[in-house]
Amino acid sequence: MENHKIGVYICNCGTNISKVVDCDEVVGKALDQPGVVCAKSYKYMCSNPGQEMIIKDIQEQGLDRVVVSACSPRMHEPTFRKALIKAGINPYFLEMANIREQCSWVHTDPRQATDKATSLTKGAVRRVVHHEPLEKRFVDMCPATLVIGGGITGLTAALELAESGNQVFLVDQAAQLGGNLARVDLTAPYLDSARDILTERIRRVLENPNINTFLNAKVSGLDGFVGNFKAEIQPAAGEKVTVEVGSVVVATGYKPFDASRVKAFGYGTNPNVITSFEFEQMLRSGKIVTGKGKIPKYVTIIHCVGSRSEEFNRYCSRVCCMTALKYGQEVKSALPDAFVYDLYIDMHAFGKGCEDFYKQASAIRTIFLMYQKNTAPQIRPAGPGDDCEMFLRVDDRLCGEEIDFPTDLVILMVGMEARDDSAEVARLVNISRDRDGWFIESHPKLDPVATTTEGVYIAGCCQSPKDINESVAQAMAATARIMAKIARGRIEVDAVFAEVNQDDCSGCRVCNELCPYGAIDFNTELHRSSVISAKCKACGACVSACPSAAIKARHFTDEQIFAQIEGVL
Amino acid sequence: MTVQADPRLVAELEIYGAQDVLKCYHCGNCTAVCPFSKAPFIFPRKSMRYLQMGLREKLKSNLEPWLCYYCGECSEQCPREAEPGETMMSMRRWLTAQYDFTGISNLLYRSWKMELLGIIVLAILTGLGFYMFGTATGDIHKYDGPGAFLPSAVIHAFDWTMATILSTFLLINCGRMWWFTMGRDPEHRATPAMYARRAGLLLLHFFTQKRYSECDRKGPWRLHIVLMLSYVSMLVLIMFFLPMMQAGPAVNWWAHAFGYAATAGLLITVAMALWGRVQKSATHYKHSHETDWIFLIMLFYVALTGILQHACHRLGSPYAANILYLAHLMGVVPMLVLEVPFSKWAHMCYRPLAMYFSHVQVDAMAAKESAAAETLPA
Ligand SMILES: Cc1cc2nc3c(=O)[nH]c(=O)nc-3n(C[C@H](O)[C@H](O)[C@H](O)COP(=O)(O)OP(=O)(O)OC[C@H]3O[C@@H](n4cnc5c(N)ncnc54)[C@H](O)[C@@H]3O)c2cc1C
Ligand code: SF4
Ligand code: SF4
Ligand code: SF4
Ligand code: SF4
Repeated sequence: MENHKIGVYICNCGTNISKVVDCDEVVGKALDQPGVVCAKSYKYMCSNPGQEMIIKDIQEQGLDRVVVSACSPRMHEPTFRKALIKAGINPYFLEMANIREQCSWVHTDPRQATDKATSLTKGAVRRVVHHEPLEKRFVDMCPATLVIGGGITGLTAALELAESGNQVFLVDQAAQLGGNLARVDLTAPYLDSARDILTERIRRVLENPNINTFLNAKVSGLDGFVGNFKAEIQPAAGEKVTVEVGSVVVATGYKPFDASRVKAFGYGTNPNVITSFEFEQMLRSGKIVTGKGKIPKYVTIIHCVGSRSEEFNRYCSRVCCMTALKYGQEVKSALPDAFVYDLYIDMHAFGKGCEDFYKQASAIRTIFLMYQKNTAPQIRPAGPGDDCEMFLRVDDRLCGEEIDFPTDLVILMVGMEARDDSAEVARLVNISRDRDGWFIESHPKLDPVATTTEGVYIAGCCQSPKDINESVAQAMAATARIMAKIARGRIEVDAVFAEVNQDDCSGCRVCNELCPYGAIDFNTELHRSSVISAKCKACGACVSACPSAAIKARHFTDEQIFAQIEGVL
Repeated sequence: MTVQADPRLVAELEIYGAQDVLKCYHCGNCTAVCPFSKAPFIFPRKSMRYLQMGLREKLKSNLEPWLCYYCGECSEQCPREAEPGETMMSMRRWLTAQYDFTGISNLLYRSWKMELLGIIVLAILTGLGFYMFGTATGDIHKYDGPGAFLPSAVIHAFDWTMATILSTFLLINCGRMWWFTMGRDPEHRATPAMYARRAGLLLLHFFTQKRYSECDRKGPWRLHIVLMLSYVSMLVLIMFFLPMMQAGPAVNWWAHAFGYAATAGLLITVAMALWGRVQKSATHYKHSHETDWIFLIMLFYVALTGILQHACHRLGSPYAANILYLAHLMGVVPMLVLEVPFSKWAHMCYRPLAMYFSHVQVDAMAAKESAAAETLPA
């Protein structure tokens, strides 16, 4: 083994670490390790003075390996790597030991915590001598983008990109653009017309020479990696088209919940019971009528149909409350003498302008009733002497009475569900779905439009139910991310990835199916697997699975890992 | 039991002065701040709900509006400006109309024009009747004694007749109140012993308005108790001591001192209430139903003409005194006939009754509970 000069730095993290771990003892033990020429503890290693200290030691004492025992590397590995670069050595000559999350935060006994911190530090010291210098690499970024879905989300994404001069391929399986919004009349909470919102955007899309629109078409294949995808577009009639794109925006939206699944409402058998989409249709045609074609005197709106229930979907569909309030207002303006009953579980009026919208609905005399979650209000037909078609029975939570009230027309606020083909789409673009079928984002708070597949973004209702402005905001966020990449012209690829030694690979293909990121390519002519380094996330699954031990993960070599284990023990 | 909703009830209560009831979204702030809301009478939110839902019968058996004194705190706290205090006030008007078996109350509350017409007709009838009677049997230049224009003995007899008739109406209405709130509901059925045990409360609340005095804001209670005691003193003086006040030339200072104090009390408090309503100086003065104005103006008019005719009498102008007396009666009669059994004055009875019934209800429910506990299998 060559002679290395290792510096070990133990962070106190204020008192986060030092209140349980005896940092000075760890320093002392580290100094006993072979190759360690300096070991220090400091209050905040990540602070500027902390980093300066490391840089100074590297430069003055000629350190060539650095160990930092501090918090999780997810937190500050980039910080210390930068310090190494500043000091003039390869950033991968760093190893971190996590003595905060894994020691001081989870242990109360100082003795044991200190011993564990010492062991982890020793492991890092042993490992770091085997680190190799690695270099970042770059791949080209294709400026074209594939947008799947032409609802308000997809239209927005396409326009943002195309109007900044980038090529867009917009694919929708339907015969026209607009998605579900094309079925909506006015929009909550400001009562703008959906038609106005859409037609202007659709016109701009169709007129833009940078946008190639494929209607009645589906994406049938997607290959490659960020910056370098090849997509196959399959029109319902006609030839398959292959296009090259650097990014993909998935904006496939939702499907409305099927109201006939809730038996109690008699949807499908009772002509006076309709869904929100059918009511939108009535509003668009300007005629609100009961099943018998009469003008209703009493209109009842029922919230949460298929949503927030144990039996159907547990989540809230988020737009139906405001849509229901909108119906109240639209009914009142079309039929001023009608009574509007609004049956809710909880009123979700969280968005901008929504609380005012709710207040406005009350002011124009919508009558609100609160029914119990997981129950369905009962409907029974009225007698010949009654002035209504039906009676609805509700256990009103706000006065504790079971109330019978008259109604002529019932509107069911159907929720949103993931589309039937969402699993297929997920597989195609290699992203995951949650238990309800919605696509999963990279981080729910900090990375809401990216996915685990770099270069593939999700926006709008395919990610979860949301209203128009949230959908549009996501579309814009996704395109901003894409345009930032396009502007840079090339993409940095992490230096850490797996490599297949072509001489050792037997072509068994065990790794091919295993890779969660689809990063392994199989060359059918040479009968060998190889890793597409830009797609590899260095998870290591293939490395351990390969029966020929042909795969090596950079920065996670057997040598490094065994040395670390030895050090810890 | 299922109750029937009537979406038209809100509009009906609006005629009685309710405003913005449907704006309430049941946050419960009003109930939280109400100084009078105590279990099992938790209000005003729940009453708002009954009204929104149009539960007519529930509202009819509701005592809670009478337990509210319109301190206005709820309306000030309401985030939706749903005016719960004014709603409780309008429910009291509506309940007064529900208790009234003649339907006259309903008519008066629904249309101030009707009320005004009633007042004018009654005033003209009273004026004509007494004028014809006075000129036929006496002399307009003589104030009291034999041959007087409106001798105290005659007026006294007239007062007693009117009091008997009006009390009968009012009693029947009180009986209906009992039926709606106590009698017809098996939950509230109480034994005579329970009624007897709490009977003292009736007088206590009538005379001291103790509950009102418990409000954080003492001003409205002070005004109200002075007004009410002045009114009652005046009533007692007129019913029992009228000859003493009308007689002369010897002056019975006992009766007179009371009379002057009561008149001053009435004039001052009524003027203050009127001024408050004009200025909208407090939450409970912010919204005025037409009947509120008519009531206050009538009261002020009656007190003023009463003291003026007396002054003329004592200052030795029997002619002026008689004319003013006639004017006074033309105010008193319509005011009492319309207000006592059918409108605002009826609350003098309904409020203490409600206080009384509410305690009996609590006793009845407690008795039922302990009986149920005993019959439970061990
Ligand atoms: C009754 C109702 C009323 C509403 N009213 C309002 C309102 O007033 N205000 C408001 O803000 N929001 C409202 N919304 C919500 C609004 O509909 C959504 O926010 C909006 O439509 C989301 O747009 P999207 O583009 O994400 O999805 P979608 O509108 O669902 O569009 C998705 C598009 O993708 C296409 N597609 C799907 N899968 C594929 C595939 N595999 N390949 C190719 N193309 C595909 C579809 O054909 C469709 O065109 C309402 C929702 C409902 C249910
Ligand atoms: S938005 Fe409202 S109606 Fe829709 S699921 Fe959520 S709570 Fe129910
Ligand atoms: S290391 Fe993980 S991500 Fe990389 S090729 Fe192997 S299995 Fe795929
Ligand atoms: S404070 Fe207002 S909104 Fe809240 S419950 Fe009372 S009346 Fe309703
Ligand atoms: S006005 Fe005062 S007493 Fe009446 S309900 Fe409101 S807070 Fe209670």
